[in-house]
Amino acid sequence: MTTQDGGGILPGAGAGADGSTDDASAEARAEWAGRDALTLLNTDIPRVDGPEKVTGRAKYTHDMRLPEMVWAKLVVCPWPRATIEALDVTAARAVPGVVYAEAYKQVGDELTYQGYDGIVAAVAAETPEALEDGVRAVVTGYSRNNPPLVTREQSLADGAPQIGRGDVNMRVESSTGDREETAAALETCDAVIEATYTLPVQHHVCLETHGTVVDYRGGTEATVYHSSQNVTGGARDFARHLELDSENVRVICQHMGGGFGAKFGAGEEGRVACVIARALERPVHLMLDRRQEFLMAGNRSGSRQVMRGGASKDGKLVALSVDAEKFGGMGPGSLPRPPYIYDVGTSFAEVRQVHTATDPNRAQRAPGHPQASFAMECMVDELAYAIGMDPVSFRKANLSDEVWHRQLDRVAAEVDWAGHPNKTTPGQPGADGMAEGIGFGVAVWGSGSRPSTVCDVRIAPDGAISGSTAVQDLGTGSRTLVAAIVAEEFGLGVTDVTAHIGDGKLPPAVYSGGSITTGSIASAIKDGAYQARVLLEPSVAAALGTEPGHLIWLDGRVYVDHALGRSLSWKQACATLAQPILGTGRWQEHLTGRGVHGAQSAKVRVDTVTGRIQVLKMVYIQDMGLPFNRLASRSQINGGMIGALSYGLHEVRVLDEDTGLMLTDGLGDYRIAGPQEIPELVALIDDEDTRQEAMGFAEAPIIPGHGAIANAVFNACGARLRDLPLTPDKVLAALAG
Amino acid sequence: MKAFDLVQARTVQEAAGLLPVDPADKSAMLLAGGQDLLTELKEHLAEPDRLVNLKGIPGLDAMTWEADGTLVIGAMVTVQDLEEHTRVRETLTALHEAAASVGSPQIRSVGTVGGNLNQRPRCWYFRSEEAHCLKKGGTHCYAAVGKNRYNAILGGFPSYIVHPSDLATALVALEAEVTLVSPSGERTLKLDDYFTLPREGSYQRETVRLPNEVMTSVRVPAPPAGMRSTFLKMQERESYDWALSAVALCLWMDGSRISDARLVLGGVAPKPWRCASTEALLQGRSPTTEATARAAGADALKDARALSDNGYKIPLTQGLLRRALQKLGA
Amino acid sequence: MAERPPLDRPAPDGHGGGFSRRSFLKGASSVIAAGGVAARSLEAGMTEGAEAAGAGAPVISGETEITLDINGAARKLRAEPRTTLLSALRVRLPEPLTGTKEVCDRGNCGACTVIVDGRPVYSCLQLAVDLQDKRITTVEGLGSPEDMSPVQAAFCRHDALMCGFCTPGFVMATTACLDKHGTPSEATVRHELSGNLCRCGTYPHIFEAAQTAAKSRAGGGLR
Repeated sequence: MTTQDGGGILPGAGAGADGSTDDASAEARAEWAGRDALTLLNTDIPRVDGPEKVTGRAKYTHDMRLPEMVWAKLVVCPWPRATIEALDVTAARAVPGVVYAEAYKQVGDELTYQGYDGIVAAVAAETPEALEDGVRAVVTGYSRNNPPLVTREQSLADGAPQIGRGDVNMRVESSTGDREETAAALETCDAVIEATYTLPVQHHVCLETHGTVVDYRGGTEATVYHSSQNVTGGARDFARHLELDSENVRVICQHMGGGFGAKFGAGEEGRVACVIARALERPVHLMLDRRQEFLMAGNRSGSRQVMRGGASKDGKLVALSVDAEKFGGMGPGSLPRPPYIYDVGTSFAEVRQVHTATDPNRAQRAPGHPQASFAMECMVDELAYAIGMDPVSFRKANLSDEVWHRQLDRVAAEVDWAGHPNKTTPGQPGADGMAEGIGFGVAVWGSGSRPSTVCDVRIAPDGAISGSTAVQDLGTGSRTLVAAIVAEEFGLGVTDVTAHIGDGKLPPAVYSGGSITTGSIASAIKDGAYQARVLLEPSVAAALGTEPGHLIWLDGRVYVDHALGRSLSWKQACATLAQPILGTGRWQEHLTGRGVHGAQSAKVRVDTVTGRIQVLKMVYIQDMGLPFNRLASRSQINGGMIGALSYGLHEVRVLDEDTGLMLTDGLGDYRIAGPQEIPELVALIDDEDTRQEAMGFAEAPIIPGHGAIANAVFNACGARLRDLPLTPDKVLAALAG
Repeated sequence: MKAFDLVQARTVQEAAGLLPVDPADKSAMLLAGGQDLLTELKEHLAEPDRLVNLKGIPGLDAMTWEADGTLVIGAMVTVQDLEEHTRVRETLTALHEAAASVGSPQIRSVGTVGGNLNQRPRCWYFRSEEAHCLKKGGTHCYAAVGKNRYNAILGGFPSYIVHPSDLATALVALEAEVTLVSPSGERTLKLDDYFTLPREGSYQRETVRLPNEVMTSVRVPAPPAGMRSTFLKMQERESYDWALSAVALCLWMDGSRISDARLVLGGVAPKPWRCASTEALLQGRSPTTEATARAAGADALKDARALSDNGYKIPLTQGLLRRALQKLGA
Repeated sequence: MAERPPLDRPAPDGHGGGFSRRSFLKGASSVIAAGGVAARSLEAGMTEGAEAAGAGAPVISGETEITLDINGAARKLRAEPRTTLLSALRVRLPEPLTGTKEVCDRGNCGACTVIVDGRPVYSCLQLAVDLQDKRITTVEGLGSPEDMSPVQAAFCRHDALMCGFCTPGFVMATTACLDKHGTPSEATVRHELSGNLCRCGTYPHIFEAAQTAAKSRAGGGLR
């Protein structure tokens, strides 16, 4: 199974060996130590850049301040499908402090969609205040072309202008299975549920907006500070925009304020920054403002899934028919093919792209999966109640991979499902109008890896040790991973190793998307450290009067044997070197795996008087092969659950249907979960997964939470909500019948 | 924000004198805590040439209790100071609860009582510079036929904003008065009369404040003995949000029966919505019975007219009223 | 009282009243940012301010030099009346303090939180020129990577940060919370932090860090 954005593959395919490492030394290659032997990895490792971040010293792209730098901003038409009636930058150029004002479109141009196509001009100035005056002084006027084509109904209406790729608003992307055969199979079912599940367009809401600081002062070289998920691959875009050779363009991203899938290329904002830098031959600071971030920096596509599902009395999913639509604006949208995770006897699924004149979707943490999961988990739940079977047992009966069975049992136990009174029928509110319920879901992610990463590990005679690879750290902890894997190799502490990352001049590294970063970089770091150890050990062994290959590196010292006899300190060991050494590490297939699973439970309290849903507790368990940093892993799991809760209860992009104006263009109207929304969270690492392999997982925990919450609401009070977000109005409407 | 001058007024009279007389003259505006004003300036909903800063005027940030128990709250008292005032918490519970529910800690730190009462609506069309709506001198209310889940169900026609102030809801229930100073003098009026409905006054304003009037204080008369009060607010998000609906309820009991009541709804109308007939209906009833909750809820919302997306506010508000009655009757 | 125009429903052809092809250009002055206006007002700002005030009230007009007490030091910078504290810190200071983050610029998210005279405030909603007699503390003023405050150290220990962009604001709000409450309950922590948003989902770790920091401060080392 793959997604539009190149995301998930089911576990199983390519999932590696069982973790046996008995013959490691004989192979003379890097091997992960057994979990009992690890001293740093598989423990809680505070991130190495934490002190910089908590003291405000960490420099993000937004924070770059360069000599002679100018402040730049895009001028953006907020409407979809507008025609430019007026566009004049003359007055902007006259504003004191403005050094650049150019129109990029002309009067009469039609702007086809809300997003990058709405960039009509840009202004640069010496100060942010002068910049604002300059932007305000750009004369713009637009007329609207009707309809704005911002809703499904407008897009699919007879006579609607056709705007999508190939001049169509709707295309069938895939059709799997046989519709008639599935309809026939549904006839044989003991219970059939017909339901339509809808999910709105969601925004990434990276706290650091998209943007770039382009340091180009003429000549043949440039440095580009870019909030980016792809440092190594980023130079090519910028080189093209700057008309330079890509080897002369250095992309730097030491820290970034969130990406979540939206920050791969230079983007139009990056291109315009380059255009301005070329014109002025001065450094240019161009970040989107918050409104522009909502208008043009991507989104998770919406979804509408019309389902007919059927089950037998004995608890089997017999048939499922799905007509799914994806709302990716001018993009294709994302949705893994139904029936997603579950085993279904006979199924049919048609997936269609429906285009609107809005910003194209981009990859967003587990692209397509939260949409597929919500519909499927709700359908499964509805069928379980329809046949009177408890939803945990029903899930297990229709999931072939037994990893999910043990995980479901675990998350059920953590919310005391056994002691819960109403398992097969919804509960009733108490005298106070409050009702509590529990719901479930499962998750899958392919993760895997790419072979492109190289990691240099350097050790100097003075004891300095570093790991270097261009990889970016989105907040996931990749910088800490570099330091930790190198430190583990030599029995050092994580802060003893310097991690150099986020710089295009370093050895190349993979992009960060689809949870492939850990799988891709870990083995290269490990290999680099191993290669460095092979180079270091001869002189150390000689100094200790022993042979290389049998040294024990532990707690900052190196010993001759397991009995911890003769030893040298780390500094003494390095002092045996005549010159610095370099281990160059590359991706190692045998150290890398793929395919992760998760299970979710959620407990909610529904106020049937006001419609308020309060999530009381969420429990999620995740397998991840060899866990490297348990602390950061729990952070990612908690973050996934919170992301799902936020999507489930709050997030929705709202456009005025008459004009196309975006009404949720700020963090006041576009609500994300805050501190008061956070339930008790239990993040579990599935240690029954014994695979000795590196793999990422962090897409998975954001997949099932909102479905589990919706199921818990039904379990609590019988309100079946099929349309996200689960706001009080919908609860009250469902309860009113 | 467009460039502006900042004028540091030293007295209320001086501040009032710096304000325009003509409602059409938008050249100067008052700056109190700035927590709403700066967002309006950033969105270019207002582009004054100068701001008249009230922060330097002595005495406006004082809270005093008069001998008869009347509380006088200076307009520049911060919401946080109001929230943390012990005697307010003990005697004017609804006001304390409303203050605690305002915005966020950072807003309450510097946001003022005067600013809170005079903040502009949150309607997303009003807040979009491009939507030239009735409130901004345009020809129609976009919310009337557009996306209106947060808009008014009571008294909205023809500009369906809801008043965003939580303090206003509680203060109207407490029968507060406000004092306004202009170059020509001073006037005091009931807070209930301070706010207006769109059909009663200008679509472009939510109050009867004249352009050159400065609100200097809010007077909360000592409530008759035995008052119990509460303010309940439903937010779409618990962390920092405006009211979907709010209820301020004051009850006086005679044994197990209600002897007197004041009820004001927030978040549902362009002004705090006093429910006089419901107050009368509640007299003599037991607050915690199902019959009382039903009758009061039906009466309080009897004039409600839902737009396309905001019908839920009717049962929601009735639910909040039920909760308020249960809480005070317990 | 303004004249009451009739309620203007969208025209039958589906064009929105305010945005129909004609009125869009013609009527909606907000749509057209007339170039001259901004430039004129800039000039006017330099000359008319004092005169407009009339009564002789002090007027701050155009860019002036101001002094702010930031992290215990008097810092001189040039600012306009409209320059926010956030912009003053991040841009206007000769040596900018970029730890304070700009995220929403509307007082919705808390990333720009600093402490002014002991209270947490959104620096994006403060005018810098209005704060010249105030004590301003930013995240840089609490501690350094080598000498972190108890809150900062606890954030690191509990991994109360991921991308780190909301973190300075949460560190400041947490510090203000502990300054006010000493050893708060988790409910109080949530209440006091409810003006801050995090997108990575670090909240539970922040709650833990607040508790750890409170204990650490109770043992001395208030900062």
